[in-house]
Amino acid sequence: MKKVEAIIKPFKLDDVKESLSVLGVKGLTVTEVKGFGRQRGHREVYRGAEYQVDFVSKIKIEVVLEDELVSDAVRVIQEKAKTGQIGDGKIFILPVDNAIRIRTGETGKDAI
Amino acid sequence: MTSPADELKHERGELISLFSAGEVSETFQETCTEIVDHYFRRSVQESDTGQRLFRDKNPFALVALGGYGRRDLCIHSDIDVLILFDSKVPSSAKKLAEDFFYPLWNLGLDLGHAIRGIKDCLSLASENLEGLTSLMDARFICGDSPLYLALMERLEKKILPKKGLTLSRWLEEQNEMRLAVFGDASCLLEPNLKEGIGGLRDYHHLLWLGKAFFHLRTPKDLETSGLLSHKEYADLESHLNFIHLVRNHLHRESARKNDRLTFDHQESIAQALAFKDQDSLLAVEQFLGQIHASMASIKSLRHSFVFTHFPGSRKNGTGAPGSESLSAPFFMDQGEIHFPSATAILRDPLLLLDIFVEGAKAGRPLSLESKRLVREFLYLVDEPFRASERAARGFLSALSAPNASEALDQMLETGFLCAFIPEFEPIQDRVQFDNYHLFPVGRHLLQTVRHLKALHQERDILLADIFLDLPDPEPLFVAALFHDIGKTGKDHAAKGAALVRKILKRFGYDRKRMEDVCFLVHRHLLLAETASRRDLNDEKIVVQCAGTVGTMERLKMLYLLSWADGKATGPRAWNDWIANLVLELFFKILHILEKGELATPDASKRMKLSLQQVRSRSGDQLSTVDQEALFDGMPPNYLIETSPRAIVRHIALYKTLRDAGSKGLKSAFCLEAEAAPSSGTYEVTFLARDRAGLFSDVAGIMALNNINILSARIYTWRDGTAVDIFTVTPPLDPLHPEEIWERIKGDLAETFEGRLPLPERLQQKAEPSILFRMKSPGRQPQVHVDNEASDFFTLIEVFADDRIGLLYRITHALFTLGVDIRIAKIATKGDQVADVFYVLDLEGQKVMEQEKVEKIRDVLLKDLSAT
Repeated sequence: MKKVEAIIKPFKLDDVKESLSVLGVKGLTVTEVKGFGRQRGHREVYRGAEYQVDFVSKIKIEVVLEDELVSDAVRVIQEKAKTGQIGDGKIFILPVDNAIRIRTGETGKDAI
Repeated sequence: MTSPADELKHERGELISLFSAGEVSETFQETCTEIVDHYFRRSVQESDTGQRLFRDKNPFALVALGGYGRRDLCIHSDIDVLILFDSKVPSSAKKLAEDFFYPLWNLGLDLGHAIRGIKDCLSLASENLEGLTSLMDARFICGDSPLYLALMERLEKKILPKKGLTLSRWLEEQNEMRLAVFGDASCLLEPNLKEGIGGLRDYHHLLWLGKAFFHLRTPKDLETSGLLSHKEYADLESHLNFIHLVRNHLHRESARKNDRLTFDHQESIAQALAFKDQDSLLAVEQFLGQIHASMASIKSLRHSFVFTHFPGSRKNGTGAPGSESLSAPFFMDQGEIHFPSATAILRDPLLLLDIFVEGAKAGRPLSLESKRLVREFLYLVDEPFRASERAARGFLSALSAPNASEALDQMLETGFLCAFIPEFEPIQDRVQFDNYHLFPVGRHLLQTVRHLKALHQERDILLADIFLDLPDPEPLFVAALFHDIGKTGKDHAAKGAALVRKILKRFGYDRKRMEDVCFLVHRHLLLAETASRRDLNDEKIVVQCAGTVGTMERLKMLYLLSWADGKATGPRAWNDWIANLVLELFFKILHILEKGELATPDASKRMKLSLQQVRSRSGDQLSTVDQEALFDGMPPNYLIETSPRAIVRHIALYKTLRDAGSKGLKSAFCLEAEAAPSSGTYEVTFLARDRAGLFSDVAGIMALNNINILSARIYTWRDGTAVDIFTVTPPLDPLHPEEIWERIKGDLAETFEGRLPLPERLQQKAEPSILFRMKSPGRQPQVHVDNEASDFFTLIEVFADDRIGLLYRITHALFTLGVDIRIAKIATKGDQVADVFYVLDLEGQKVMEQEKVEKIRDVLLKDLSAT
């Protein structure tokens, strides 16, 4: 079981979400996040005064998957989230020890 | 015979199931109180200990306290009871409590109990204000009534006169605490029916104040004592009934004492109360709308009650003391504004509006009596009133005044706003059942105005800076007040713009400002939606927005409106995350507007018109879908600078190219040359799949064939098609120009296939010859690299003396520097060229590193200076 975490551009969320669900992913978590990578914040000047914009707004999606689905999921995220420009984001894959569905107590594969 | 407890259990069970079936709704609390009273009466009769105490001349009384005392028992309300003795509590009282209370605990009821002598009760009440208020609601149930009467008499004579002021101040503090903890329930998504502002507690406050200061006994005395008008009391009663009813359903559903009307219960309670879905308004939304309206009414009643009858307990008004000069005919009393008389309103109905204008200017509220008069005379606000110029002027000046939002609150609360602007009525209590919109629409609109009025207090000084830049902020306030007025169905922004136009026409509003307001209302979601859903690195998106917005002034107002609207909607609609995106978009649009060219309303109109003509002329070369996708990918400057006829031609070439490409011909290209007889030049159109270095190759082949490029416009469509349009000198042999063009095509094909060593051939050609003498450079070439001018590209400007092959040199140098040319404007004036290249690095980014910028400048200058 793996957790796939992707930081993407906000306007790509719908595309990514849709193609993941086509793939059979049943649930995912979406968070509005801010940060910076190579695409640093920047400085704006308005009427002589400077306004520093430190962070860039991005979307983080998290989804826990069976191992077999991981490569496909990563592929569609990369495909859909790509504009070819800086700031397209990153994908992280993390091992997951176990999962428990709180309502039923099911564990492992059944819980995701 | 059944025991009292069994009877209670049975009766109460019956009552609850009747209630669940929807049968007793209004009378529940009353009946429930009766049932419990009955239990205590029987228990006292049947308790041996109780009877013994009476025989031993140690009488006691059972007294109901708190909500039970007020006969307000909901399903899971606490039942507070006091066993009252004269002075000393006898030891057998413990047994008494067991007889009365144990069975109730066994039934699972929430019981609060006390056993005290009169003196203890009073000392407790004078020490603890909560105890005092509970005792003020005391009601005799059974037992020895003189004990109860003695308690109440001493409470009234000894305690209340001393404690009254402390109590009223404490209640004000409690009110502030409630606001902080439970919030203003009259506009919360999950209101607390009891403790929230506008909740039952407000009504309790009225009762307690009435009891402490005006010797009221029952709630009805609020009216009979003249503290409230008949209508106010009737309204209060019906609102209380409704809230109690909802509270009972909430208790029934959550099976416990619960006063917070959370999401999960709202739909089912709306159903239980027989609200029905209507076109565009869900049952639950109507239900919440009614709850909010009831709570807002109770809140405002409490507010004006306290303000009128307890002026000492409140903080000072917002206006400066001494600034009590009002325009005639109004007068100020204790910090509140009063009408001169009721007959004055009849003589001049417009006073109904003027009083709010005064309030907005002076920062003072209307008195309770004034509000009453406004409500009573609302019928005077008729069609001629609404259409009068003085009314419109007055209303707008109130909206521009510093304390506009307080005045608007009072207009809404008294019903004046809806009477004066009937378009407000359908949306004022409208609720959206989601956790995104925190407030009903009417409140949201006032809240939006409030945020704009308090802009100077914001931490983000950019907002205030932008506001100060506005030469005329009035349209912004008008738009803020009306931006959601179309929220009665789908596409509320467009609908709102139409409604607002109607309203402003009635006002006789200035034409230009009206257009600004309609624009703001219509587009109030533009920035937030574009920022969160579209690619802000796509120049075209930003240009489109800029075209829609049109002017900097509108952009600034729209930005402030987006901010205030978002903030007034809720934390999910506006937070740092979305603010960040909207700010980015704001600056990008601002920069485009500052530059002008692409974003004038004229430019966007031209782009639209041009595409329409292309559509009608292009026939069916491409499927509609493909064609629209292609249009979408055409850069804005291409659309503005290219005639529809040329675009149609380019689409035809594009199709040829695409067909060739699908046959695997990667290096396919199209070239067409057309004479422009009037200027004696040729126009050459070149299409190919874009790649780095393409432009320099074409420029090189032209030079090789003695064609001098006078000007060039190069564009890259989003799908990667390069479209280059050159104006060139005619071929040297004017009799057979086609031969030259064919040779150029051949050379291009060879170059693209790697068979023609272009640099070497040009080198040979550049050797001085008789035919093309190299002029020594007349003046120093100049190169500027500019990252400020565009949010999307780095601009490289080159000024130099013209000569054959110059363009090749520049573009080839750029190619070797790893710079991709996306747009180029080549212009030759006399023997001077002024070229502008819009470039990106190979990753598609602006060239920002200072080092690289320096390098580009150095290499180009060196190249240009070399002969």
